[in-house]
Formats: sequence, structure tokens, C-alpha cells
Amino acid sequence: MKASTIRRLKLTLAHVFLVGFLVLTLTPFLMIIAISFRRGDLAIGALVPVGDNFSLEHWKYVLGIPYEAPGADGQPRIIRATTPVLLWFWNSLKVATVASACIILLSGTAAYAFARMRFALRGLLLKSLLVLQVFPMVLALVALYALLQLIGDFLPPFGLNTHPGLILTYLGGIAIYIWMIKGYFDTIPVSIEESAKIDGATHFQAFVRILLPMSAPIFAVVFILSFISHISEYPIASVVLQTERQWTLAVGAQSFLYEQNYLWGKFAATAVLSGLPITALFLACQRFLISGLTSGGVKE
Amino acid sequence: MGSVSIQSLDKIYPAAGKNPAFHAVKGIDLEIQDGEFMVLVGPSGCGKSTTLRMIAGLEDISGGTISIDRSTVNDLLPKDRGIAMVFQNYALYPHMNLFENMAFGLKLARTPKEEVMRRVTDAARILGLEQILDRKPAALSGGQRQRVAVGRAIVRDPKVFLFDEPLSNLDAKMRVSMRSEISKLHSRLKTTMIYVTHDQVEAMTMGDRICVMKDGRIMQVADPLTLYHQPENLFVASFIGSPPMNLLRGRVERREGRLVFVEAAESDAVFVPLAGALAQRAEKNLGHEVVLGLRPEAIYDEARGADTTPLRARVELSELMGSETNVYLKTGAGTVIARLHTERRFAVGEELVVYLALAKAHLFDAKTERVIR
Ligand SMILES: Nc1ncnc2c1ncn2[C@@H]1O[C@H](COP(=O)(O)OP(=O)(O)OP(=O)(O)O)[C@@H](O)[C@H]1O
Ligand SMILES: [Mg+2]
Repeated sequence: MKASTIRRLKLTLAHVFLVGFLVLTLTPFLMIIAISFRRGDLAIGALVPVGDNFSLEHWKYVLGIPYEAPGADGQPRIIRATTPVLLWFWNSLKVATVASACIILLSGTAAYAFARMRFALRGLLLKSLLVLQVFPMVLALVALYALLQLIGDFLPPFGLNTHPGLILTYLGGIAIYIWMIKGYFDTIPVSIEESAKIDGATHFQAFVRILLPMSAPIFAVVFILSFISHISEYPIASVVLQTERQWTLAVGAQSFLYEQNYLWGKFAATAVLSGLPITALFLACQRFLISGLTSGGVKE
Repeated sequence: MGSVSIQSLDKIYPAAGKNPAFHAVKGIDLEIQDGEFMVLVGPSGCGKSTTLRMIAGLEDISGGTISIDRSTVNDLLPKDRGIAMVFQNYALYPHMNLFENMAFGLKLARTPKEEVMRRVTDAARILGLEQILDRKPAALSGGQRQRVAVGRAIVRDPKVFLFDEPLSNLDAKMRVSMRSEISKLHSRLKTTMIYVTHDQVEAMTMGDRICVMKDGRIMQVADPLTLYHQPENLFVASFIGSPPMNLLRGRVERREGRLVFVEAAESDAVFVPLAGALAQRAEKNLGHEVVLGLRPEAIYDEARGADTTPLRARVELSELMGSETNVYLKTGAGTVIARLHTERRFAVGEELVVYLALAKAHLFDAKTERVIR
């Protein structure tokens, strides 16, 4: 075989592999979208909902818009959603955003202390953070439940069935973010902050005006990761939030799946809905994710 | 103005984890005059940076005092000490452009806008950075970056400039030009500068005085020529000068009524008769272990009157440097380097007689390593 033929063969193989990989990851996603636009609430059916199959009923339901559908007697009826999906969406957005912002604040300052300060037990604390991270938060569900109940007795806005309470439980799982941010701080030479101190900056000014702007990429990453994991978090939210109006999207979506009746269409529409803010966030954060923000300050 | 006085300064790094406590600076005393260019030089790990960082206020002082302009600064913050520092890795703020980099300190001090403008543009003009003030550090060459770091220091209008190996990240050519630029800056500003380096060429060419350090102690403080011609101890003798001073270990003996230096060697020991001032100094150490030091340029390839002593040796290696040749000679217990002013080529293994200018020799006590006067 000629070299060029081999090269073309290799290229084709690579493409086949990549396309196969894409199909594998995209298919479930596309199916969810298809289901959300398909008439009826079955999991299987036409892959591309067109003509008679196509319907906006699930989206109308989810968005709280009344729509017409055949009733039990065969006559068309106006159906109005009884579940506050948009409210759930708003709850999710609120919880995920506030939790992520608080996580940035807490893990950023903690990471700064671990990266830049020397104090007793520093090494031990760092290691124990890592070890504790091995146990999933869900294992502590009972404890969290009891704790929130206790807190609620003294501080009702932070008790069970409240969003601040739920956010409080999320703030317990920041060890991994502390490690990520500390790792990034460690790559930034201390001499830059020392320069700032000679220039007259306080500890806090050196942190806020020098270190933070240089660390934008890692904070963007941490915010996105935290946002994704908390907007779709189910186990803890489902235990902490007990009334329908407090639910988040993840908890609410689950309510479409009864024992006897799986409302896949509505479930799919909610799922797609919860993906929208994540997509928006990605687009918004893109400019912070560019690398090279720290380059040029020091000789590597 | 900017005099710096250091008295019995100590630095002990506390034990951390598995590392035991480390005594990095051991009670040093140093007086630096106002307007002086003082170079701290020494091998890696001798405590130069630690000393400089204590002057800057970036490192706690374990003992002793540091005064700048006659007032003790031990407990002052870096910004209140009247110092500016240039780091080895430039340490620029990568997210700010050059103007902002240089203006950062002034802005923190709430200096009026026009004043900031004036001082930054002045510094930029001195350093030739006016055209690129709106660039970010990433878009600069290494030399330009270091110039910005110097500019940031100038803008602070400090009493004392501190430099920690500012040129060691630049290529050889850039280093030479920045070296003279900093020297020019010093003669222009006439401000006290303390300059850390481990490059002895930088030390010799830039310093008004040089402070040689080793293992947290000061070995000698003197102007470059004194350091070169009158080293106080073996360490300074071997550290300053390239190629280094030849050091022969041996003892002073009396043979047939004359004082001689006999090298400690199994066979073929170097044996030189001592005369004049050298003999007087040697006499006091009769029978003692001593080290005889002779600079490579004090060895000639021809006799020069009665003052030179012949020595037979074999050529091991020769480096033609252009106007002169460094010849490595096998003799006695070790190798002696001679810097000969000749363009003659030497063959490896060639037998040669060189002439030692013993009047220029140094004698050290082998135990205390101090010079014998
Ligand atoms: N933070 C620290 N903790 C413990 N020991 C330290 C610390 N910083 C420096 N040392 C030790 O102190 C000694 C002096 O360090 P210093 O940085 O002053 O050396 P230096 O003379 O500047 O060397 P170089 O030419 O390599 O920069 C070294 O042995 C070093 O290992
Ligand atoms: Mg150093």
C-alpha cells in the first residue's frame, strides 16, 4: 500500500471512531429532546416526532400554558398543569446559584489559607478533607435531616423544607473544590503577592486584587461544576424539601414517574428545561475559561 | 537618607513537618552607607535571599535589628520601610498592563492622578518603555519584563533598592546590557542599592562593596579590588576570581637554613623556597599546616628576575582564550592553573617550566582557614 493510502485509511478509521463516540453520547440526549416533543407519554416511539406524532403538549404543560387534549371520554378538554414546574425551575436556579456562589466564597478563602499560610495541623487538615470527600454526602442523609430539624428549632429560615437549609447541606461538600482551587493557587508564584505587599497591599488586597483576578479560570470551573451538580442533585433535595412548592426541578421531575404511570413526556421536557441554565452558564463563562490568564507575570 | 544598618541579624526557619529548624542567617553585622551599591554574593543556599527578604520585611527576623535611615524597621510592614524590590522571576501582575503594573503601589497609596501619571511616565522614559505602556507582561521579552520590574521599583521612589538575582533569568547578552543599565541607574539616582547575585562577574563589576557570604555568615566585606587582592580567608580566596586561585596544602619547614613550603603529597611534592615578606609570615607558622595561594596570573611562562621561582610541570589541558591561555598543569598533589599571556599552543603532556611570582602569594592557616599576615 502506498503511504498516502495508509494515511487516508488511518484518517477514516479515526473519523469512524469519533463519529461512533459522538453517536453514543448524543443519542440519549437527542432521544430526550424527541420524547419531550412527542405526543403521548411513552418512552419508545418515533425518533423524529413529525406530523401527527409532533406535539407541544409536554412543553405547554411544563411551562404552565393551558392546552387541549382528548379526555377520558374521547372529547377534547382544556388541560392546565396542576404542578408548578416553572416554580421548581426557579427554585433550582436559586438554590444552585446561591449554593455555588457561597461555595466559591468558602472554598476560595479556605484554599487561600491552605495554599499561602502556615498553621498548626495544616497538613493533617488537608489530608482529612480528602479522606472525608471519599464518603458521599448521601451517606450522611439521616444526620443532615436531624441537624436541619435541630437548626429549624432555633433558626426557622434554615430548617427542614427551606432552601437556605438545603444550601447549608450543600456547603458541607466543598472539600474537592478547596483542593482544586488550592492546586491552582499553588501554581501562582508567591513573589507576585509579595510584590503587591511591598507596593503597599494588605493581605486582603493582595488576595482580592492580585490573586483573584489571576485565578478567574479555576473559579469559573468550580462555579460550573458546583452549579451542574447542585441543579440536578436529587437524593438530599428530595429528603430536605417536603412540600411541592419548595421542590427543585430534580425532585419535581421525579414526581412525574408514578408506580403505575410514567409520564415520560413531561419528565423529558423538565429534563431539557433543567439543562438550559447549564448551557447558558457555559456560554457566559467561556471567556473566563481561556487559559493563559496568568502567563507573563513571572519567568517560568 | 538610605543607610542600612544590620546588627547581629539571625534567621531561624522553624521546623515544619519532617524538616528540622534551620539556622539560615547566623548573627551577621553589616553597615551599608547611603547611596552605596552593596552586592551580597555567595554560593547557593548561603542565606543571601533570606537576608534581603528580612530587609524587605517579607521574612520575620529571628534576632538582631535592621535599621534603615537610622530607624529600626524590625516591626514595620514592607511598604513602610521605604524599600522597593526586584525579584528574580520579575513577579509582574499578569492581568495588568505595564502602566497599571507600575502604578499599582501609587494607586493603593491614593496618590493624585497627575502625580501617578508623571512618576510612571518618568520611570518609563528612563527605561525606554514609553511606547509599550499599554501592553500586558505576556507580550514582552524577558529583558523588557525585568525592566518593568525595575520601573515599578523606581516609581516607589524608595530609600533603598533591593535586587534578588534580577538578571539570572536573562540570556548572556541581555544580562550584560541590563547590568550596565542598572549600574547607570545607580549613578543617576544615587540611591542605596543592595544586590544579591551568585555571579561573581556581576559582583565585581557592579558593586561599590561586596559582601561575601557562606553558610549564613559573612566571610568578608570589602571593595572589589581589596577582595581580590587581600582575601581574608580561604573561602573568599577560592570564591572570587575565575579561574580560581591555586591553593596548595602543605607545611612550612626549615631546610638547610632556609624557609621552604613543602606540599603535602605522596610524591613529586611542590617544593618552593620562601623569601622576603612571605618568609616573615611563614616563619611564625613553622611546622604548621598552611595553604599557599597563588592566582593563575601570578604564574608566568618565563623568568622575571630574581622574584620568580621556577616550577616544573606537565600540561594537562590548555584553553586558548584569545589574548591569553589558561594552562592546567599537573604538578605535585594536584593541578595548578596558570593564565599565560601567550598565543603559543601547548600540547597535552608537554613538560614545562613555569615561574611563580611568590611575592604575590597568599598564605593561609590550614586549620582556621584565615589569612596569615
Ligand atoms: N521557607 C524556608 N524554610 C526553611 N528553610 C528555608 C526556607 N527558605 C530558605 N531556607 C533555607 O535557608 C537557606 C538559605 O536560603 P536562601 O534562599 O537565603 O539562599 P540563597 O543564598 O538566596 O541561595 P540561592 O543562591 O540559591 O538563591 C537555604 O539552605 C534554604 O534551604
Ligand atoms: Mg536566593
